[in-house]
Parts: sequence; C-alpha cells; structure tokens
Amino acid sequence: MTTTTLEHSAVEPSAQRASQWHRVQHRLAPYLFVSPFLILFVLFGAWPIIKSLVLSTYTTNGPKDAVYVGAKNFQFLLSDADFHVAVKNTAVFAFWSVVLQLPTALGLAILLSQPWVRGRALFRLAFFAPYLVGSVFVAVLFNVLFQPQYGLINTVLHFLLPSHFPLDYKWLEDASHVMPALVLAGLWLYVGLHMIYLLAAIQAVDKDLYEAAQVDGANTRQQFWAVTLPGIRPVAIFVLLTSTIGSFQLFDLPYILLNNGPGPNQSGLTIVMYLYNTGFVTGDLGYASAVGWTLALGVLLISLIQLRVTGAFKGENE
Amino acid sequence: MMRTFPFGTAALLMLFCSIVSGAWLGLHPAAQKQADLTFWTFTKIHYDPYTETIPTFEQQHHCKVDLQLVDTRAVTSRLQAAMLSDVDVPDLVEIPIDFAPAFFRGPLEHVGFIDLTQRIHQAGLWDKMVQARFAPYTSRGHIFGLPHDVHPVQLAYRSDIFAQEGVDVSKIKTWDDFIRIGRKLTIPNKRYMLELYDFRSAHLEACMFQRGGGYFDPQGHCIFDNDIGVQTMLWFVPLVAGPHKIAGSIGSGQILTQAVEDGYFLCLVCPDWRSKSIEKDIPRMAGKMKLMPLPAVTANSRHTSTWGGTMLGITRHCKNPDLAWQLALHLYLNKKELGKRYEGTNILPALRAAWSEPSFSQPRPYWCNQPIGALYAKLAPDVPFQYTSPFIATAKDKLGEALVACVQYYNANGDNGFEPFVRATLKEKADQVRALAARNPY
Repeated sequence: MTTTTLEHSAVEPSAQRASQWHRVQHRLAPYLFVSPFLILFVLFGAWPIIKSLVLSTYTTNGPKDAVYVGAKNFQFLLSDADFHVAVKNTAVFAFWSVVLQLPTALGLAILLSQPWVRGRALFRLAFFAPYLVGSVFVAVLFNVLFQPQYGLINTVLHFLLPSHFPLDYKWLEDASHVMPALVLAGLWLYVGLHMIYLLAAIQAVDKDLYEAAQVDGANTRQQFWAVTLPGIRPVAIFVLLTSTIGSFQLFDLPYILLNNGPGPNQSGLTIVMYLYNTGFVTGDLGYASAVGWTLALGVLLISLIQLRVTGAFKGENE
Repeated sequence: MMRTFPFGTAALLMLFCSIVSGAWLGLHPAAQKQADLTFWTFTKIHYDPYTETIPTFEQQHHCKVDLQLVDTRAVTSRLQAAMLSDVDVPDLVEIPIDFAPAFFRGPLEHVGFIDLTQRIHQAGLWDKMVQARFAPYTSRGHIFGLPHDVHPVQLAYRSDIFAQEGVDVSKIKTWDDFIRIGRKLTIPNKRYMLELYDFRSAHLEACMFQRGGGYFDPQGHCIFDNDIGVQTMLWFVPLVAGPHKIAGSIGSGQILTQAVEDGYFLCLVCPDWRSKSIEKDIPRMAGKMKLMPLPAVTANSRHTSTWGGTMLGITRHCKNPDLAWQLALHLYLNKKELGKRYEGTNILPALRAAWSEPSFSQPRPYWCNQPIGALYAKLAPDVPFQYTSPFIATAKDKLGEALVACVQYYNANGDNGFEPFVRATLKEKADQVRALAARNPY
C-alpha cells in the first residue's frame, strides 16, 4: 500500500504537468488558429468599415483635409440628382436581371438536365463560359457587338427587322437603349453561372420523389411544381439573393461597356460607379463613404425583404 | 510533439508552415528602392520616348529614375490612395487634364503637389511656353503642373472625296461655309460631313472653347450655362440632330477606322494627338487625308480650339524637388528631344522654341505631304484658355447630359421653343455642378 502510494506520487507531477499543458493547448489552440484570420479581418475588414463609417460624416477636400459635417452627407444624398439616377438605374438593372436571368437559367438548367439532350456537357460549358472569361472581356466584346453601322447585333437585327432597326441604331450612344444593352450583356454573362447552381440543385433532387409522383399520376408540369421547385428552393433563394446583391454592386460591366463613363445622360450610372466617381474622380471620399453605407444598408434591407418573402426564415425555423 | 498536439498532424504542419513562411518573410524584407526619383506616366505614347531620354538625364545628374507606366484611370486612384496613406507616393506624375484638378481640392497647403509658380517664373517658362496651357493646372492663382502639350485642334478630312466632289477647302473660312458644303455632301445614313459626338461633351466643349467659353471661369465658378454656352449649344445641336444634320458619331477603334475608310465620315475633329492615332489606326487612308484649320465662328476669329492635355506635377512627398524639377525641365524643355519626340507622337509641346525644330516642318506622306507640325504650330498661339475646377469631371458629365436632352428635344420639336429649352437645361445642369461645388469650402 505504501509502495503503491509512493509510486503514484512520483508519477503524478509529470502526468499533471502533461495534462495541464494539454488543457492550455485546448484552450489556446483555437484562438491561435483563428488569429491569422482575425488579425487580417480586423486590419483589412473591420477597421476600414469603421473608418468609412466615420469618414461618411466628413467632407474630404484633397488627401489631408477633412471637415466634420455630421449627417450632412446623407442629407445631401436626398437632394443629389445624380445619386437618384444611379439608384434608379441600379434598381432597374437589378429588377430585369432577376426577372430575366433566373427564369432563363432555370429553363436552361432543366433542359440540360434532361438525358435526351445530346452534348449536354458541351452546352453546359458553352453557357458557363462567358462567366469564366469575366465581365471586362464581356463588356469589351459587347461594346463591339453593339456598335452602330458595323456591329453584329445591328447587322442581324437590321436583316431580320429592317424597318425597326436601322443599321445605325444606337445602343450605347442613346440614353434610352443603354439599359437594355446592359441587361442583355448581363444576361449573357451571368445566366450560365446561375444555371450551374440550379442544375446542381436539380440533379440533387431525390429521384424517388419523381417516381412517387409518377405513381400518383402527376404529369411533367405537376412534377415540376410539386417536386422540382420545392427541391431546389434553398438554392433558388441563394441564387436570387446573390444575383440581387451582385446587381446592386454592378460596376465593371457598364464602366467598360460605356467607355469608362456613365454613358449618355448618365443612363448607365450605377451606385458603385457613382461612389467611385465621387471618391476617386472628384476626390470627396467622405461623400463616397456615405454613398457606400447607403448602398450597404439598402442591399441589406432588400435582402431581408427577399428572405422574408421567399420564406427563407420560416424554413430555417422549421 | 506530434502525439501531444491535440488537433492532429495536419494542423500542426499548417502551423509550422505559417511560422516558417512568416519568419522567412520577416528575414527577407522587400528590397529598398534604389531610384532617386520615381516618375509615373499614364500613356505608352509618353512612356516610350521617356525611356530613351531619361538615361541621358541619369548620366548628367548621377542619379537613378524609376519610370513607371500606370494606366490612366489607375493614376488617379493609386495616386490618391498613395497620398492618403503617405505610402509609395511617386516624386513626379503626369496626369490627364480631366483628372488633375481633383488633386487641387482643399487648402493650398494640403494640395498634394508642389506649387510651381515661382519656379516657372524664375525659369522664364511663363513666357517661353503657351500661357493658355497653364490655366488648366492653376488653382487659386497657383500653378501646380507643367503643361506637356498644346493640343490645338484642326479638321482632318478625306481629301480624295473632297477633290471628287469639287470642294475647294481654301474657301472654307467659317463654320457657315463648312455647313453649307456639308449639307451638299451629306447623304443621310450613308455619309456625314463630320464626326461629332451627340451624346457626350468632348466635341461640344471644343466648339465652346473656340468661342471663348468654357466650363469654369478663372475663379472656378461654373459658367457653361452663360450666353456663349447657350449659343454654342443652339448652333451645335442642329449639326447632329434634326432633318438637316450633317454630323454624327459611330464609336471608336476599328468601327471608326471602317467608317473613315468607307467615307461614312468625311471630316474628323483632329487635335495633334489624334493625327497620330489616325495615322496608326487608319493606315489605308495614307495619301488620302489632309488637315485644315478649324473653320472660324466669324470672319477673323480663331481657327482652332483645344482637346485634351497632360500636366507634369511634383508631389509634396518628393524628397529632392530640385532634382525632380531638373528632370521636368529635361523632359519638357530640351528642344532636340522634343523635336525627336514629336516625330513619334505628333504632339506639339508647350515650349514655343521647340516648334522651329526641323521635324515640325517635315512633310508627312500620310497627310498628302502637309507639314502638319508647322500647321499645328501656326494655330497654337491662338489656343483658347481652359479654366478648370476639381468638379471638372462632373461638369463634363452635366454638359453631356444637357446635350443629350437638347438633341432629344430638337429631334422631337425642331426649332420650336428650342432656345428657352436650351437655356433652362444648361442652367439646371450647371446648378447641379454649383450645388456640388458649394460643398467644397475652398
């Protein structure tokens, strides 16, 4: 008994130290692993966000001068005609993007999930390819396609509908045609990406459900409404949300398409383009920050409304 | 260690890699810059000749210059970011005319560029260079940039088609003469006398400058809605809209090349820099193009205008402003170099004495052997003043918007109520610029 106690007391300190070291590691290791991200996030994420919020209450004049103006930047936004134009343009683009891109992407996804379509892999790649080359390339390409007199789009449209589309029909030089041109270019660019998401969702829907629906006598349309749509709902909501947010962040496509500017009569001016112009062309970073924060809050609000309308919150609670 | 580490071998390896790589980076800091001066320019047209002339300067001054080509748009955003953070600010920068004034915001002592007024006067440059070209780089009486160029404007025209049609260019003295001939030569949707933008302000502003107008007055107040602005718009819009239009726009690049080759446009507004673009982009028109002075608004008024420009500024961060100034003088005042540079760019330098270099009077085969340098130089002293403000980009956009609105109105209503509409539209747009400018207390 005495021997055992002695042996035990000899082993105990080193075992205790090891176990304490283990406990310390357990406590500290997660923080250690998270710390690189946290440090980078605080430096390059949180700090700029806070700084921009502070900056939005200043008017900046040049690199070193800032005058505190409180909420006046936000007040000026209310009467700033250019900002209103930018909001309107961005909202119109977002609306048409969602209305056109999502159904088209869904249609393509359904079509390319059918086993009877030959060369599906090739078509999938073809539709996804515009997204791979990027918005700058697409903008440059469409800039050429939309040219009057010699552009391919006018040539084809003039051939098909000569009375409606003269050869010098102006897409990018006429304020009323810029938005359709942008929406078309956006459709070509993003539809493939949405299609891939939806295609993956469709392929993940349990095949047994279709069989059960068929046994119950459901036709193809009924299967789509009762099985496919509910099955892809989470992904569809995700695509809807990202597509809307992406539309509100629109910058590079119109900027390049319209030759580094907002287009005739500001018809291609988006909120982010206005932010960029205010901050980096006119040089008022304070006002640009106010524009940025208004955009962020607007997008947050719209996203919340969309999640509410589509029942995403409800789905989570269930 | 591996056995006692609670999150497994992979996590331990990751930790090890991050520590090793961090330590390696810490022990190998980025190499210190060797250059005595860092110089940014935004176009290859400037960059290429500078690479040839800077080694001479380096030899003469026993220093090293780091010349960097930065994209036009990136110049402004990078420079602003650099100035804000006081990191990697170049010593000298060339900035396009439309973007430079944004850097003159704020109190004078905070402007990111050194005030060159005294140096310019001491070196006699005020008299040696075209004075009008200092105006765009002047704020509150202080000059912050040295003008790179003059950019007088002429008209480039298809001399072969003019000859076929029996047009005697020497008889085109005023815009009225030009328009009269233009009406005869224009065939709607097939051929137009002149390329003029009907959706942005570039050509309209050149016409406004020719008449002595502008976006801003010398004090930086927005004035494009004054009488000159209104008269210019009233004159310009019927050229690009309505049943008697003789001008239009089609785009740039290959499309414009095709349009000129096809004779869709007979004339192009052509500042000196564009004459080089035309030579390069429309090579098949060699021997078929010529230049003529801009028709005057009235007899005995000026036959030119201006379009574009570049300034060279020395930043406040420059550790050796005297050396930077020497480099600026080397680049902008060396007659021989300027003459050589002109051959590659067609750009007329602001230094008057350089125009007597032989290269400026050399006949150019592309332009039917016209000595185009001498032609531009002849017009250069008449180039109008162009005053500016940090809100120049907004003012340009607003004038463009006014143009679009006026074109739409004219297409729908013609002359009926056009003048009041033009006045009201220009005032509305200018007021928007004023509202924005009113936020700037300086």
